[in-house]
Amino acid sequence: MDIAAQLPLLLGLAWLVPLASFVAILFFGPRMGPHGRNAAWVATAAIVTSLVLSLLAAGTWLGAHPVQAAHHGGSHGSDHSAEAAGPVAYAGDWYTLYQGGGLRLSIGWYIDALTVAMFVVVTFIATCIHVYASGYMHDELHDVTDHEVHLSGGGHLHRPGRFPRFFQALSLFCFSMLGIVIAGNLAMVFVFWELVGICSWFLIGFYYERTSASTAANKAFIVNRVGDFGMLIGLMALWGALGTLQFADSKAAGPDGAQVVRPGLFGLVRPAEGGHALQVPDGMVKFAAADLVATTPAAEVAAKIDDWRSMGLGRWLLFIAGVGIFCGCVGKSAQFPLFVWLPDAMEGPTPVSALVHSATMVAAGVYLVGRFYPVLTPDVLLVIAYVGAITLFIAATIALVANDIKRVLAYSTVSQLGYMMLALGVGGWAAGLFHLVTHAFFKSLLFLCSGSVIHACHTNDMRKMGGLARVMPWTAGTMLVGCLAIIGAGVPFVIGLSGYYSKDAILAQALSFSRANPAHSILFLAVAGGAFLTAFYMFRLWFMTFAGEPRDHHVADHAHESPGVMVAPLVVLAVLAVAAGWTLPGGFGLPNLLEQARPAGTAEGMTGGFVFGNLTFPAEHESHEGAIHVTATLTAFATALAGVVLAALMYLVRIISPAVVATIFRPVYSFLAGRWYFDELYHALFVLPALGIAELASGTDRGVIDRIIEGLAWTARQLAGIDAWIDRTIVDGLVNATANATWHAGLELKKLQTGHLRQYVMFIVVGTVALFVLASLLFRTSMAG
Amino acid sequence: MNLGSLITDTLANTLDVSLPLFRPELCLAATVVLLLLCRMLPVLRHADSALVALGGVGFGLWYAWSDFKSLPAGGDLLAGRQELFTGLLVYDALTAYVRLLLLGFLALYILFTKVSGIPDREDGADFYTLVLGGTLGMCLMASANHLLMVFMAVEMASVPSYALAGLLKGRKASSEAAIKYAVYGAGAAGIMLYGLSLLAGVLGTCHLPSMTVELAKTAHAGAAGGSVMVLSLGGLMLAVGLAFKLSAVPFHFWCPDVFEGAAAEVGAFLSVASKAAAVALLLRVAFTLGVPAGGEAAAQTLAALDDTRHFMVYLVGLMAAVTCTLGNLAAYGQTNMKRLLAYSTVAHAGYLMMGVAAAIAMAGVTAAGTRDAVTAVAFYLGTYVFMNLGAFAIVAFLRNTLRSEEISSYAGLVRTSPGIVVATAVVLVSLIGLPPLAGFVSKFLVFSALVEAISAGAERPLLLVLLVVGGFNTVVSLFYYLRVLKVMTFDPPPAERATEPFPLVSLPGALVTALVLPVVGLGLFWSGLYAAAQLAGAFAS
Repeated sequence: MDIAAQLPLLLGLAWLVPLASFVAILFFGPRMGPHGRNAAWVATAAIVTSLVLSLLAAGTWLGAHPVQAAHHGGSHGSDHSAEAAGPVAYAGDWYTLYQGGGLRLSIGWYIDALTVAMFVVVTFIATCIHVYASGYMHDELHDVTDHEVHLSGGGHLHRPGRFPRFFQALSLFCFSMLGIVIAGNLAMVFVFWELVGICSWFLIGFYYERTSASTAANKAFIVNRVGDFGMLIGLMALWGALGTLQFADSKAAGPDGAQVVRPGLFGLVRPAEGGHALQVPDGMVKFAAADLVATTPAAEVAAKIDDWRSMGLGRWLLFIAGVGIFCGCVGKSAQFPLFVWLPDAMEGPTPVSALVHSATMVAAGVYLVGRFYPVLTPDVLLVIAYVGAITLFIAATIALVANDIKRVLAYSTVSQLGYMMLALGVGGWAAGLFHLVTHAFFKSLLFLCSGSVIHACHTNDMRKMGGLARVMPWTAGTMLVGCLAIIGAGVPFVIGLSGYYSKDAILAQALSFSRANPAHSILFLAVAGGAFLTAFYMFRLWFMTFAGEPRDHHVADHAHESPGVMVAPLVVLAVLAVAAGWTLPGGFGLPNLLEQARPAGTAEGMTGGFVFGNLTFPAEHESHEGAIHVTATLTAFATALAGVVLAALMYLVRIISPAVVATIFRPVYSFLAGRWYFDELYHALFVLPALGIAELASGTDRGVIDRIIEGLAWTARQLAGIDAWIDRTIVDGLVNATANATWHAGLELKKLQTGHLRQYVMFIVVGTVALFVLASLLFRTSMAG
Repeated sequence: MNLGSLITDTLANTLDVSLPLFRPELCLAATVVLLLLCRMLPVLRHADSALVALGGVGFGLWYAWSDFKSLPAGGDLLAGRQELFTGLLVYDALTAYVRLLLLGFLALYILFTKVSGIPDREDGADFYTLVLGGTLGMCLMASANHLLMVFMAVEMASVPSYALAGLLKGRKASSEAAIKYAVYGAGAAGIMLYGLSLLAGVLGTCHLPSMTVELAKTAHAGAAGGSVMVLSLGGLMLAVGLAFKLSAVPFHFWCPDVFEGAAAEVGAFLSVASKAAAVALLLRVAFTLGVPAGGEAAAQTLAALDDTRHFMVYLVGLMAAVTCTLGNLAAYGQTNMKRLLAYSTVAHAGYLMMGVAAAIAMAGVTAAGTRDAVTAVAFYLGTYVFMNLGAFAIVAFLRNTLRSEEISSYAGLVRTSPGIVVATAVVLVSLIGLPPLAGFVSKFLVFSALVEAISAGAERPLLLVLLVVGGFNTVVSLFYYLRVLKVMTFDPPPAERATEPFPLVSLPGALVTALVLPVVGLGLFWSGLYAAAQLAGAFAS
C-alpha cells in the first residue's frame, strides 16, 4: 500500500480505538467484572493498540523518510532547493461535513513528522498512565468514604466506587487529544479542543462531591472559555476572509469535473511562488480593501491586489487571526493571564494531572502554535514570546514557596509551558516543540512519582514528608532523574539528560534573538533566570520530600513503596526522561525528526513587523553555532548549578534557614505565597463585578420590572374576572358541549367492541352488505347500465 | 408448440428471470427450513434461533437492497417491471421498496425481540419460523399479480399471525385473541374468496393485467347491468378481504382484542409489517385493475376504466374517512396501552388509505400527481416502521420492568426514568404528526397529495371531505396520545412501585434510542427516504 494511504489508515485507527473503548465502557462499564474492574483492561488494551499502531506508523514514516543529520553551518545554499519544496506532509479528508459555495468543512488528516512524533508520545505516555492508574485508582473498586467531604450531618460522604467511569473519561480524552493532533483543519482542531476541555472538566471534577474539586473543574472550564472566545474570533477572521480552515492544499473535483487545487491556509499565507515568504493572503487584502474593491472594475481587482498589499491592507486582519488563535492556546496551555486554572486542576486524581494537565492536553496549546506557525506574523510571535516569558517567570516564583507537592509541579508545568511558548515566539520552532516532547516525558514522570508519594503518605503537604528515600527507593530515584531532567542537567558539550538538550536549544535561540534585537534582550534574561528558579524549586521539592529526617513520624511510619504496577511506569518514563533528547551517531534523533516537519519558509528566519517595530528572527540553525551555543550552554549550566547548590544549602545541609529567609523578605514571601494575588485580583476585577451586575439585574427585576408586571397582572386579573364569566357561561358551554359529544361518541364506539366473537363475525356480513347497499345507492346510474 | 419446448421455455424463464429476482424470498424460505432443521439436529439444537433468523434475514436484506439499488432511477419507469413465474408475480419498484422495508423491519424486529426476551429460548425456533413465514407471505402480497397469488399471499401472511397471537401459551387472553383472530380471519377470507370467484367468473381470467383488459372491454361494450353488478359485488368482497388485513372499519373488530391479548412484540409485527404489506397489495390491485399497462391502446383503455377507478376511489375513500374517525374516537377512554395503540394503528390505516384514494383519483389525470401520491404513501410506510416499532418496543420494555401495560401504571415515570419518557414523547408526538418529527413529514405529504388532487380537479367533493376529515382527526388524536404523556409526567407515581428505573444507557435503552433517533432524524433530513419512496412511486406512472 502507498504510504500516503497507509499513514492515515494507521493513525486514523489509532485515533478511533480509544473512542471504541469509551463507548464500550459507557454502555457496559459497570458490568465489566466485579465493580467494573475490567474496564481498566479494556481502556489499557485500547491505548496499547493505539500505541502499536502509532509505532507502526512511525516505522512506516522512518522507512520512507529516513532521519538524517541536519546541515549545520557552512553548508547553506546546498540544501535550499530541498527546503524550498516545504516539509513532507500528507493531507486529505475522510468525510465532508458541509459544502456550500466556496466554503467547506470536513474531517480530515494532516500528517507530517510532528504528527507522527506526537502520536507516539501521547499514546506512549497514556499507556504508562493507564497502567499506573489501574493500580492508583484501586480504592474506587469498592465503596468509598470520602474524608474530604463533610456532610451536614457530621459524617463523611459514603459513595459507590467509580472505577469504570475514570477509565471511560480517560479513553474519551485520548480520543480527543489524538483528534487534535491528527486534525487536518482548524475547525476540527476546535471541535477536539473543546472535547479535551470537557474531558478535563470530567476528570478534574472526578471527586465532584468535594467543593474544591467541582469549583476547580468549573474554574478550568470557564477560564478556558475566555481563551476560546479569542480563538473563535481568530477562526472567524480566517473563515470570513479566506473561506477555508484547511491547513494544506487540497484537491477537489470542480463543478466541471476537473481537478481543482484549493489552497489551504499554509499555501495562502506562504505561497510557493513567493519562496514560502510570509505575505498577507489575497482574501484578507480584498477583505480589508472592501471599499476599494467596490469602486474598482471587477476585471482590474486581481491586478491591483499587490498594490493594496504593499499599502499594508489586511495585515491587521492577519495579526488578529494569529493573536486570536493564540488566545485559545493561552487558555489551554495555561499562559499568563489565564494560568490560574491549572494549579487548581490538581484536585483531580494524580494520573490525570500527569496525563492531562502536564504532558498532553496543556501541551496542545503549544502544539497548535507550532502547527499554525507558518501563519503567525513577526508581531504575533513577539506577543507569544512575551506572554511566554511573563508566564515562566511568574509561575517559577510562585513554585519557590508552594508547599503542596502537586502544586509545585503544577506551577513548574506552567513555567515550562512558558518556556515552550517563548521558544516558539523567538523563532525557535524546533526548540519549542522539542521541549514539548521531552517535557512530556519528565513531567509525567514527576507527577507519577508525586502520586506514588501521595499514595504512600496520604497527604500532599511536603512539610509533613522528609526522609522518604529510605522507604521508597524506586520512587526517590526516578524522581531524582525527573528533577535532573527538568533542570537540564548534563556534562556541558558532552552528554546530558533530555532536558539538557531541549533547554539549551531554547536558551540558545533566545540569546540569538536577543543579539539580533537588543531591545528585547530581557527575554533572554527571563529564560536564564527561569532556569535558576527551576533548579531551585525542583530540588527544594526533592530534598524536602526524600532527604533528611522524617518531619512527621506518623506519616513516615505508614509510608511504603508502591506496588509494581505503579513503579514499572516510573522506570520506563525515567529511562525516556534520560534518553529522549539524545541524537544517535548518524543523526537519528528527535530534533532531526522534528526538523523534517519544519514549516516551509521558516528555516531562514524572517524579518518584519509593523506593530512593534522591525523585528529580526534569526534562523534557528544559527543558534547552534559557535559563540552563541557555548554562551548558552554555559549559562544554562551555571544557573542550574547555582539553583541546586542554593537548594542544597537551604534544605539539605541547612546552613541557611528557610524560615529566616522568609522573615527577612516577608513582603516578597507573602506576595509569592499569595500567588501574586492573581486569584484575588480576578475575583475583584471579574467575579465581583459580574456578581454585582447580576445583583443589580435581579434587583431591577424584582424591584422595578416585577412591580410593573404585578400591576399589570392585577389589572389583567380584574379584566379576566369579567372575561372568565363570559368564558365560563358562553364559550365553555359550547366547547364543553363539543368535547362531551366527542367523548361520548368515543365511549359509545367503545361499546361496539363487545368482545363477543359471534357478533364480530356477524359484523363482517353486516359490513359487507352495508357497503354494497351504499355502493348501489351511490352508483345507481352506472348500475342501471 | 410441443410439451418439450414448453417445459424448456418455462424452465429457462424460471431460472434466468424469475429466480434471480426472487432471492430475498428464497432467503426467507431457506431460513425457515434451517430453523426447523436446527430443532431436529442435536448438534444445532443449542444454536440461538434469533441469530440464525437474523443471519437469514441479513442475506435477504442484502439481496433486497441490491435489487432496489439496481432499479432504473428516474428514466424509463416501466423498464424495471418484470413478470415472474409465468405472470403469477410481478417485480417492479413497489415490490422492491416494500420488500426492502419489510426485511429491514424484520431485522430490527428480531433484534428487538431478542432484547425484550419474548419469545423465550424454547419458543424461539417456532416464533421466528412463524414470523419469517408471515413475512414471506407479506413479500408475496407486495408482488402478487394474479388472483390466486392474492389469496395465497393474504392467507400465508395471516395464518402465522393467528398462531403468533396465541404465543403466550399459558395466558387465557392470548389464546382467546388467537381464536378470535383466526375465526374472524376465516370469515373475511371466505368473503374475499367469494369475491375473487365472482371476478374471475365474469372476466374469464385471474391474471390481473388481463383482467384489466377484459374489464375495459366490458365497460366499452356497455355491458348489461347484471354483469356490472356482479363485478362491483366481486370487487367489494375483494375489498373486504383487504380491509381485514388493513384493519379498516368496519372490519377492524379483531384488532383491539388481538392486540390486547397478544404480546406487545406480536402487536408490533402485526401493526407494522402486516399493514405495510396490506397497503402495498391495495395499491397493487387498485392500480393494476384501474390503470392499463402501457401500450398504444392504453390511453383509450384508461378512459374506459374511468368508472372502475371512480368506484374504487369512493370505496377506499369512504372507508378511509370512517376508519380514521372511528379509530381515533374509539381510542378515547382506553386504559390499556396496547389497546390504545391498536386503535392508533386503525386510525393510521385510515390516513394511509386517504393517500391511496388520492393516488387512484390522480391516476386518470396526471402521471406526476399519481407518482407524488404513491410516494407519499410509500414514505408514510417508511416512517411508520420506526414510529410504531418504537412505540411497541417501549411498551414491551416497560412491561418487563413494570409488569403492566395499563396506562395508569406509567404514572410519574418521568421521575425515575426521564429518558424513556422523552423517547415515548418523541414517538407519540410523531404519531400525532407534529413537526419536526417524521410523522409530520408523512402526514404533510399525504395531505399535500390530497390538495394536489383536489386542485387538479380529480374526484373533488370526496377528496375535499377526506382532507377535512384528516385535519379534524389529527386534532382529535392529539388528546389521547398526549393523555399518555400527561400520566407519565404529571401524575404522582403509585406508592407501591418498586423504583426500578429504566436507564437509556442499557441494551434496551440503546435499542429504543436507535428506534427513536430515526423518528427525529427523518423529520429533519427526509430527502434520502423521500428519494427512495419516489422510486417506489414510479411503479404507478
